[in-house]
Amino acid sequence: MLHFDPLRQSLARLRPPRASCGRILVLLTLLPSPAFAQSITTSAEPEAVSLTVYRAPERGERPIDKNWPSGYALVTETRTVTIPAGESLIRFEGVAEGMFPESAIVTGLPKGVREKNRDARLLSPSGLVDAYLKREVTLTRTSKATGQTREQKAVITAGPYGGVILQTEEGYEALHCTGLSDRMRYGGVPENLSAKPTLSVITQSDSAVTVKLTLTYMASGFDWQANYVAQVKGPEDGAPAPATGKEKVDIFAWLTLANGGNQSFLNANTMAIAGEPNRERRGAQARPTGGPLNLTCWPMQRTHQVLYNLGYDPYLYAPPPPPAYVAPMAAYMEADAEAVVVTGSRMKNAAMAPVAVVVAEQEDLGDLKLYRVPEPVTVNAKGQKQVAMIVKPGASLDRIYSASVNDNYGDGGESYPTAILLRGENRKDKGLGVPMPSGQVLVYEDSRYGPLMAGQASLKDRAVGDEVEMLVGTSSDVRYKVTPLAESKSKRTFRIELSNARNEPVNVEVEFPFELNGKPKGIAKVDGIPTWKVTLPANGEATLNYAVKLR
Amino acid sequence: MRASWFLVAGGLIVAAPLLAQSATSVAIPGEATAQGDVAVTIYQNGQSLVQDTRKVTLPGGRHKQDFPDVSAQIRAETVTLTGPGIGIVEQNFDYDLLTPAKLMEKAVGQTITLVRTNPATGAENRVRAKVLAANGGVVLQIGDTIEVLRDDGLPVRVIFDKVPPNLRARPTLSVTLESKGGTVPATLTYLTPGLGWTTDYVTLFDDAKQTIDVQGWVTLTNNTGTDYTNADVLLVAGNPNNGGGRRNWQTPWNGSTETIDEAGTESNERERLGDYYLYPLGERTTISNAQQKQVSFLDVKAAPARSTYEFNNGWLATNDAASASSVLKFSTSRAGGLGDQLPAGTMRVYMRDKRGDPQFIGESGIEATPMGSAMSIRTGEAFDVKVKTVVAERTRVNNRRWKTRMVYELTNARNNPITVDLGQNGLWGDVKITEQSLEGKRVSADRVEWSVPVPANGKATLTATFDSRY
Repeated sequence: MLHFDPLRQSLARLRPPRASCGRILVLLTLLPSPAFAQSITTSAEPEAVSLTVYRAPERGERPIDKNWPSGYALVTETRTVTIPAGESLIRFEGVAEGMFPESAIVTGLPKGVREKNRDARLLSPSGLVDAYLKREVTLTRTSKATGQTREQKAVITAGPYGGVILQTEEGYEALHCTGLSDRMRYGGVPENLSAKPTLSVITQSDSAVTVKLTLTYMASGFDWQANYVAQVKGPEDGAPAPATGKEKVDIFAWLTLANGGNQSFLNANTMAIAGEPNRERRGAQARPTGGPLNLTCWPMQRTHQVLYNLGYDPYLYAPPPPPAYVAPMAAYMEADAEAVVVTGSRMKNAAMAPVAVVVAEQEDLGDLKLYRVPEPVTVNAKGQKQVAMIVKPGASLDRIYSASVNDNYGDGGESYPTAILLRGENRKDKGLGVPMPSGQVLVYEDSRYGPLMAGQASLKDRAVGDEVEMLVGTSSDVRYKVTPLAESKSKRTFRIELSNARNEPVNVEVEFPFELNGKPKGIAKVDGIPTWKVTLPANGEATLNYAVKLR
Repeated sequence: MRASWFLVAGGLIVAAPLLAQSATSVAIPGEATAQGDVAVTIYQNGQSLVQDTRKVTLPGGRHKQDFPDVSAQIRAETVTLTGPGIGIVEQNFDYDLLTPAKLMEKAVGQTITLVRTNPATGAENRVRAKVLAANGGVVLQIGDTIEVLRDDGLPVRVIFDKVPPNLRARPTLSVTLESKGGTVPATLTYLTPGLGWTTDYVTLFDDAKQTIDVQGWVTLTNNTGTDYTNADVLLVAGNPNNGGGRRNWQTPWNGSTETIDEAGTESNERERLGDYYLYPLGERTTISNAQQKQVSFLDVKAAPARSTYEFNNGWLATNDAASASSVLKFSTSRAGGLGDQLPAGTMRVYMRDKRGDPQFIGESGIEATPMGSAMSIRTGEAFDVKVKTVVAERTRVNNRRWKTRMVYELTNARNNPITVDLGQNGLWGDVKITEQSLEGKRVSADRVEWSVPVPANGKATLTATFDSRY
């Protein structure tokens, strides 16, 4: 068996005549070679890790993409390595695969870091062929008839792009164009190929030492948001009815954190940052090389072969849902049982928010807000984690039925539902008064069947003192209708009719985002927009005429 | 004329209780669901709230509890767990799934067993191999040499010594909690998509008596990938927000179905959740995955209704005998109507033919309608009722005003007299009607309406003269 050292050969290939040139030497130190007496130390995993997660800057109020969260994290790892005297290369394994290598900082080495590299030449079928180009491999040929194997030496003449050509004693052959079973064996692993993209540093030491070093880097594939649970409390039995539209709301929030990568972080000191640190576009990155071997042969279709391509994966798409079933007329039937069952799982006035024993602590970090999970937690690979972050029972919010009219002339006369809003101020005296990071809000309301979801709203970042407003849903019972009445050169006159099919009074706000003619009674400007605030009596109506100024 | 909720699924689609029985009797042991007392609240916007009260036995102190058999589409961020004496430390939802690719990826650096089968003799040959990398092909070290797994296409079995930790068969929900220990009922609440309901109204119109019989049917569909066993089901009619902010208001830009003429202001004893109406199913039921279930919720007999015709004409529009729309008008009030709220859905109208068999005559979507509303359902175009509109005269009176005379010819090929509600749109506030052959009603600045009687097998002509700026 012919034996050779592929690395020596590749070095020989790479080394130009001016081998002593410093710049090239630096390049070559990556390839371990006895000439440089560089030893390799591998640090497999951190002993302690802390993880600070930042939100996806462009996500706004949309939910996290669990499969590839588009925020990022700052990872700080403590690792212990033993390095020998002289020059050594330390490889770091078990880092987040979304690492931004340009952000990595290694501290704690006795003489610092001379060089920091990230190698993304991957050990793979094509990477092997590339490394063994013009060199000898062993071909093992198996006879399907007898099961006998035959070994043969071959030299890779061309490859890996567009196929592999081998030179054997008998001449030149194309790999896998034979219809026979051939496999290639290589003499060793080219050491400049790695199983995963790897960060390594080169350092120097006067003597063999064991050091505790800190690796800090930023990585993509993380995200977080707040998930609020807002429970509108029903009136207590026997308590006097509250003023129209005044609600008590228990507010609870989860800190929801997602790790979309394949690396878990055990017992991590975990934090989340609210606010928007500026981020710039990253420069060009070295793309990983290697991958499957794409073997193309000469055309091999036989006479009877017709290319058949289904064009889609029949299992990828579920069949369309069956068409809605039309109840046949024959199904008319008599029955008048009116049964209502209340079971244990539907409990009136039950709390929707859990009792949290661990609540993330908030502190200010410059102009950002930092939330710290008070004890170490494990952030799993491809996992979503929730820890309580805000617990504010009994906040005061107003329930408002809201409409915003348009001045389109033709489409008046239709009845429209109003929007249901919960609105309040983020102030201590209103039962809030904490920074509220953006996220989704689940609004629950009490019913005879216990608290049920009444809508899903979203919330932007709300500082203390800001107005907090949640759109719960639309009300089919509180409606409005706009009818155009007349038009002159200077104005268009409309009538708006409000109706309330609820058996309790409601507060309605109608916005007129136009300049109105005159000062109609009951309309006042709110944030510059003329707004009609009116309380509709139970099962009642209200009407207002107004005129929009024309240019 | 009484509306009532009743529970009979009636063997429509749910059918075959016998079949269901035999299916459960052959259930594989251990397949029993981990679900407890399940309450499912289903919304019309495709979201459902699942409240699942399970008896869990907890050791005292801190404990990580897994919750299997939740919806396969669970929205993990909406999960809450409550129960007596239970305090929550953290919740985790892990979706790193065990797949062949993942198994191999996590085996990098470890040693596996290869079993090579001789293609001719079937003899097996075992070797140990170290997995070096799995980037588009598995690179193995066997003894001193390197090769790629199954490079020659021959059969090789790969046997792993163990399954890596943290890889799961299904996405797994787990809650780390603190408790005093013991068996307690813990209620798990979450939202899931894939479970929804729609409403269909079957309306039988009696032309002679001018009445309607209306049945409301609810169709439940479960595409969550999970069965909900013996569940307490509650339907919520209404339009909860689906996550948007203030500027994503669903009104009024989602359009109106134009079926509410006059919004009602009546209320009844129906259970409510804030502004939504609740429709409980009277008995517990099992909602199986990929199942569609129908239940009736409204049954009103002989409510007064009126069939009429409607035709809308645009400004200066000429039509060569276009069909008028057939319209069915009725009320949802307690007195003289359906006496209930109507959840949004589709109303299909049927009439009996000469043999007495119901035939479909048209349908219309309806939006959620309060009780006490006046409604118009447009079922289609009338074959026998036509309207011809002609701009008979158009003259410029001066440089600011135009005179327009419209002639509307209405024909009725039916053998009964009818009334057509004829509307002329596009009047912009300042168009004046200087002459009309029948007194109309200016319902808005933009529109005038006439109720034109047309005799049986006859015709009627209406003329109107407008004074306009354009």
